[in-house]
Amino acid sequence: MRKKIRFQNTKAETAVYFCASLTGLLLIWYLAVRYTNLNKVMPSPFEVFAFVGSSFVKNIGSRILPFHILASLKRVFVGYFLACIIGIPLGIIMGCSRTGKAVIKPIFELLRPIPGLAWIPLAILWFGIGESSKYFIICVSAIVSIILNSYSGASQVDPILTGAAKMLGARPIQIFFYITLPSSVPQIFAGLQVGLSSSWMAVIAAEMIRASEGAGWIITTGMESGNTVQILSGMISIGLVGLLLASLLRLMERGLCAWNIQGK
Amino acid sequence: MSKVEVNHLTKSFGKLKVLDDISFQVEDGDFLCIVGPTGCGKTTFLNSLVKLYDVDCGEILINGEAVDLNKHSIAYIMQEYSTMSWLTVRENVQFGMKIRKFSKKKIKEKTQEVLRMVGMEKFADYYPGQLSASMLQRVSIARAFAVEPDLLLMDEPYGQLDLELRFKLEDELIRIWQETKTTIIFITHNIEEAVYMSRRIMVLTNKPTKVKEDFENPLPLPRNVTEESFVEMRNRVTNLIKWW
Repeated sequence: MRKKIRFQNTKAETAVYFCASLTGLLLIWYLAVRYTNLNKVMPSPFEVFAFVGSSFVKNIGSRILPFHILASLKRVFVGYFLACIIGIPLGIIMGCSRTGKAVIKPIFELLRPIPGLAWIPLAILWFGIGESSKYFIICVSAIVSIILNSYSGASQVDPILTGAAKMLGARPIQIFFYITLPSSVPQIFAGLQVGLSSSWMAVIAAEMIRASEGAGWIITTGMESGNTVQILSGMISIGLVGLLLASLLRLMERGLCAWNIQGK
Repeated sequence: MSKVEVNHLTKSFGKLKVLDDISFQVEDGDFLCIVGPTGCGKTTFLNSLVKLYDVDCGEILINGEAVDLNKHSIAYIMQEYSTMSWLTVRENVQFGMKIRKFSKKKIKEKTQEVLRMVGMEKFADYYPGQLSASMLQRVSIARAFAVEPDLLLMDEPYGQLDLELRFKLEDELIRIWQETKTTIIFITHNIEEAVYMSRRIMVLTNKPTKVKEDFENPLPLPRNVTEESFVEMRNRVTNLIKWW
């Protein structure tokens, strides 16, 4: 009789499935490159990981890989931070105040469909080709989902809760801080997660505007020199750092919204 | 304590008239049970009383003044669960006391007292998402009692509870009322519950809701549901609702 493996907890189960799927993907990649014509345009995973490993001590361009990643991280953090400090209050104002919604929402709806990358020409004209234009592009790419989710969280506060707080004597400012804000936190975090992914996507485009370092720069120069190993190394670096950042944000969410996670 | 006066209260939702010229008084320290057919507007009435709804015309006065939720000490236990999911049971119970700036010592004592009363002391550190429906309602009840209100409004608060707890909380409410003389307006569709607890019973008609009959419940406390006088009173209310 076959024995079925039973996991003690879902965390272990998830980790096992994650490792299995990753190994499967690498295996398919390896076999495809080894036994098909794909090897003409695609390096094997061993080559890519060897390049990633060696670039921790050997320069890509004028810097080693960790420096490139840190350069991209700095850009993402500045742009993303700006998106957070502008986007969260704007979304909450739209969600809480009728006037705020009437004033901000039409403008937001007009700008919302414009992709972050469409702002590149204007960003160069306004801020030049230095760091500011990169921050701007990352900021506009991340801000839409942050505003939308903050708005959605603040506008969907259960009226029964605000009613109950009113009954207990809470004033509007107390209702805002004790009811509206905490009940919006899970939605705000959902927006922050999407915004973070958008920031990482935007950093590649932003680093196409005259950069001499960064994960995006690794990909762009790899493309210019036809170096697929370097392109894939840059992509993998972005993927891994993005995964790490999303996990950190999720940990933060677990800390701040323990009630939401424990309740599920 | 609070004296409540309701004068010519009328409320419509669009073309649907829900409350039609309702007038009555609740004396200081009275215990009024409002019964009526399902959907007759009992909840609308309480929501209007606490200004969750704007009324079309009429007025509601507490001690001769228009209702002011910051001035008048009112607690409202709603039919729906109104626990804040980001606060633990203990924090939910303390919410109103903190808003009303009770002292730290009193908050601590009162929290223990009301949690014990509703049988939730063991679950003080749980979040609402981890509790059952009846436990959630017990938290709302504890939170309302904790603020020691002058006027306690209860909208079918025991509907979700099991019988044993329901009987216990009915007796507890009578005890608190006798001790504190808090004015209570209690909405229920359970006639036995109304007759068991109230000092006065008001029967409402179906929509548009009017007051059909408003009478004293003279049965002495504690009441016995099997006594002839109790059964007679219950039948009286049943007939009023049955033949509206």
